[in-house]
Amino acid sequence: MPEDSKFKLPFEDGLGFCNILLSAIGGDGANMAAKMLFKLGVMKMGLDGGYDAKYGSEKKGTPTDVSVRFCRDGTVVRSVGPTTHPHILVAFHESLIKILRLNKGLYPNAIVIVNSTKAPEKIRDILELHSGQIICLDASKIAEETRSRLNMPMLAMLCNVLKFPTEAVEKAVEKQWPKAAEANIAAFKAAVNSAQKAEFPEDGKYPLVPFSRVRGELGYLNALPGGAIEALKYSTVKRNNSEARQGPCPIFNEDECTNCGMCMTVCADPGAISWKDKKMQGVDPSFCKGCMRCVVICPRTGRALRDPHKKEEKTQQKDKNTKALSR
Amino acid sequence: MAKAAVIEEAKVKASKPQTVWIGNGNEAVAHAIVQIGYDGEGYYPITPSSVAGQEVAKAFAAGKTDIAFIPATSELAAIGVCAGMAIAGGRAVDVTSANGLLLKAEEMPAIAGLSLPMVLNLSTRDVSAPLNIKNGHTDLAACLGFGWLILCAPTVQATYDMNIIAIKLAEAVNLPAIVAYDGFHTSHANRKIKVFAEQKDVRELVGEKPKGLSIFDVDHPHTFGPYMNDDLINTKVQLEAKMARAYEVLPGIFKQYAEHSGRSYNFVERYGADDAEVIMVMINTGGETAKDAVDRLNKRGEKVAVVIPKVLRPFPEKELVKAVAGARMILVGERVSQYGATNYLANELGAALQRVGSKAEIIQRTYGVGGLTLTDDDAEKLFEIAIRWPNVDDPDEQRRKWYYGAWPGDIESNPPVTIEAVTARDKQLNIGQDKVNLRDLSEMTCRFEKHAACPGCGIFVNLNLFLRGIDGPVVLMFNTGCGMVVTTGYPNTTFKVPYFHNLFHNASSTATGVVEMYKRFRKQGKIKEDITFIAISGDGGADIGMDQVIGAALRNDAFIMLEYDNKGYMNTGAQLCYTGIKGQRNSNAYIGPQQKGKTTHHKDTIEILRGTHCSYLFQAAESSPVDMIRKARKAQQTARDGGFVYGKFWSTCPLNWGMKESNGPAAVKAAVDSCLFPLYEVEKGITTLNYDPEKRNKKVPVTEAFKLMGAGFGHMVKPDFADVVADVQGEVDRRWKRLKGMAESEIL
Repeated sequence: MPEDSKFKLPFEDGLGFCNILLSAIGGDGANMAAKMLFKLGVMKMGLDGGYDAKYGSEKKGTPTDVSVRFCRDGTVVRSVGPTTHPHILVAFHESLIKILRLNKGLYPNAIVIVNSTKAPEKIRDILELHSGQIICLDASKIAEETRSRLNMPMLAMLCNVLKFPTEAVEKAVEKQWPKAAEANIAAFKAAVNSAQKAEFPEDGKYPLVPFSRVRGELGYLNALPGGAIEALKYSTVKRNNSEARQGPCPIFNEDECTNCGMCMTVCADPGAISWKDKKMQGVDPSFCKGCMRCVVICPRTGRALRDPHKKEEKTQQKDKNTKALSR
Repeated sequence: MAKAAVIEEAKVKASKPQTVWIGNGNEAVAHAIVQIGYDGEGYYPITPSSVAGQEVAKAFAAGKTDIAFIPATSELAAIGVCAGMAIAGGRAVDVTSANGLLLKAEEMPAIAGLSLPMVLNLSTRDVSAPLNIKNGHTDLAACLGFGWLILCAPTVQATYDMNIIAIKLAEAVNLPAIVAYDGFHTSHANRKIKVFAEQKDVRELVGEKPKGLSIFDVDHPHTFGPYMNDDLINTKVQLEAKMARAYEVLPGIFKQYAEHSGRSYNFVERYGADDAEVIMVMINTGGETAKDAVDRLNKRGEKVAVVIPKVLRPFPEKELVKAVAGARMILVGERVSQYGATNYLANELGAALQRVGSKAEIIQRTYGVGGLTLTDDDAEKLFEIAIRWPNVDDPDEQRRKWYYGAWPGDIESNPPVTIEAVTARDKQLNIGQDKVNLRDLSEMTCRFEKHAACPGCGIFVNLNLFLRGIDGPVVLMFNTGCGMVVTTGYPNTTFKVPYFHNLFHNASSTATGVVEMYKRFRKQGKIKEDITFIAISGDGGADIGMDQVIGAALRNDAFIMLEYDNKGYMNTGAQLCYTGIKGQRNSNAYIGPQQKGKTTHHKDTIEILRGTHCSYLFQAAESSPVDMIRKARKAQQTARDGGFVYGKFWSTCPLNWGMKESNGPAAVKAAVDSCLFPLYEVEKGITTLNYDPEKRNKKVPVTEAFKLMGAGFGHMVKPDFADVVADVQGEVDRRWKRLKGMAESEIL
């Protein structure tokens, strides 16, 4: 039996739903967080609704979105798929705001939770938010400091906004991840305590942006037969893996490198190890996804190639000699 | 239009206790399978139905079911297992989607023709090239003439309910039944539903399987599946009669189900204004979503309704005609198209209406293909088109048949050239060179641009390294798998060389076709290039496609086939592959009181291929890069000389192994040093060991590899897996000794 059937949702659309969209990157744990939130809402808060994700063949490191739609028990749940009109937007990475144009379909007076070190005013301009509340928290730092995961501080803030009782939420988190309970609860508390909030009433600065689907320049009039791709023009060369990378690239020190070539043989993102005239040039951050395979194989690990997470070896020269390539 | 009884899905009180359950469509299928108490399940993973099988496997490991769960080597194999179970009198179930359904297509009419009741859950998905893994009803449409009963489940709730109804119906008329629910939209949608609280109530409702002819009846033997000529037409009449019988008994089953569960179904559901003039007909989630649009439009005074068929076979002609009666305009929306003809449901409904003299206009829209979600706003737009048709502004929408949600593209667009093709024509790094200098390899241009694989993925480690040992132009042909998915997301491609992905299992046959034409055109003087052809597959491709690989090897076709073996079906969510290690944790081979992970030893693909006596076989690993390059050069020369090459890499999968990305190189090294993955080659039957960890005093126990390989293997070093590990170690040592013996022999 639901413990709290009188719970009131902060928003309701024409069909009686409060729509929450979580925009994240594969590996952030957004799916797990949303699934837990949904179960909590249904089992403890006496709500109904749906939890749908943009599933596909997305791998770790590619953008994904997950939505939870809550309604009062008794409301018929019909539609499927991620919400197109969120009341609450949760952006796990500030960089996703621009790439995915996350203001699309947002309701006026929306609540936006962003993992960012920036001030809410700055985020408003990046998001081009029509109106609402922006809550910024440095969730990446919180996750690192509490040895939790990014999904925990974000989920904490979301539950806070929904006014789910803290005790019930923490209990559910403990039950879901018993081994990491302490770290997760620490992340929860840190999130709520450190958030910066600002209200932005409708001021005409930015218009409401209606929902629209992404439509590429290739359609049924001009796509090549059979969906063939003209490789010279439509290449992933423009892709930037920095946006998807979790963590930094290895740091390269040219002076310590013997150009043995081992890093090239184990690189999981071919192209990330740049060479010119048989000499290693550095790590290209637009390719590198930060797996650190090259660092562990390097015969001069910690000197020629170094994991920035790890302390510098004494013989290593200072950062003026380090080099990271970018195109 | 009378508000007929067929349309009402009345509220009834459940006579058996029901309980709240939260989960997605696939999990609901599995929950029903376990509650029904099937004897067996043949299984092969395919998105988006995979989880439906995994959950059953998980329940088995946990001891919650004693089902005979058989992960097969292909979709055809999986349903073949089911056919065997059914002919033996067992209650069998299977789950599939899209390409999986089409691969088992040969068995489908056979099971119906053999009169074998079973249930196939179809998590619908488009079947296409270019590959799409999302929703569409191409697979479902293919089933219409198979002789199977077809029930449609628009919601997670209905997916659970229809599973129980389907097996009852199937066994009542001795026909197999499909439960079709929408891939992703339902299979992955989490909802709160009601289920039977007690398993025994489900079993009681379904009842004992009726006794039929048995293959075990040795006193009265029967011949099943004879060869038949003119008589065949009589079996078709029997099939038709069984469908007619299903039409008669189904209302009773629906009624009984409603009494037990409190949830009521019928052939057809109608929702909206009683006096609707415009009606939209859609199955599954599309129809369900359209109800929200109907509410809105009815409120505005528009006389509209939606009709949702819940049964496609037997086709409920009478009920459907009744449900659309009174409409002047009917829009039939389908997630599929019959190109060059009017669509499936539209045709069947049109013919039925013609028989009753209806003058209703029918227009058709193909929608929601490739996963495009139909929102309530989309449904409203479709209604608006139907209300005004043909007086709509958009000339395309004035057509009777059109594609909702398609876009023309920008014909002015002409993006600039951004990369140079990699022909490597000038590269002569290999020819005549015995020594390998890794630094020199940096001069070989990489054939790829950026890809979207997970950090630390081994696929491109191996392909990049191998291809640095290949001079000149290459053509790459991929099986379906992570390697193709992360490189060719439309409209951009990672490849700087010609590339072709055909299907999951036939890159080898595809390569044969390409190479034959290359030889032919070269002979005719039409091609001057010296091209090297490389087919690339995951280890799954060597399960489902093994027969085709063997075919290419037996013909000794002039190309190189590479297998990145990451010990599982990683693209579909880490299900077991026969290359996996005994004891390995897979999403369909769990660890629990009743099961300790994968139950069989790793497949020795090279040794299987040894028997084809093809030109060149090898295993190579990133831990010995010089050896890898040497093998690439030998492989290229072999293909140039007209022979077939098969090479296998031990490829890391940090995501599904649960391994730290940077552990990759050490994990591969440990696999090689433990002889889990010996580095060797077989040239025309003669074996050479390229690296002998024993001789170098580097041999380690297999547990050293498992320790590094992440959570999918890490449990094997724990004491309760000592027996499994001893078994694996024994098998690895046995194979290693055998391999050494062959390497020592002059003729082996």
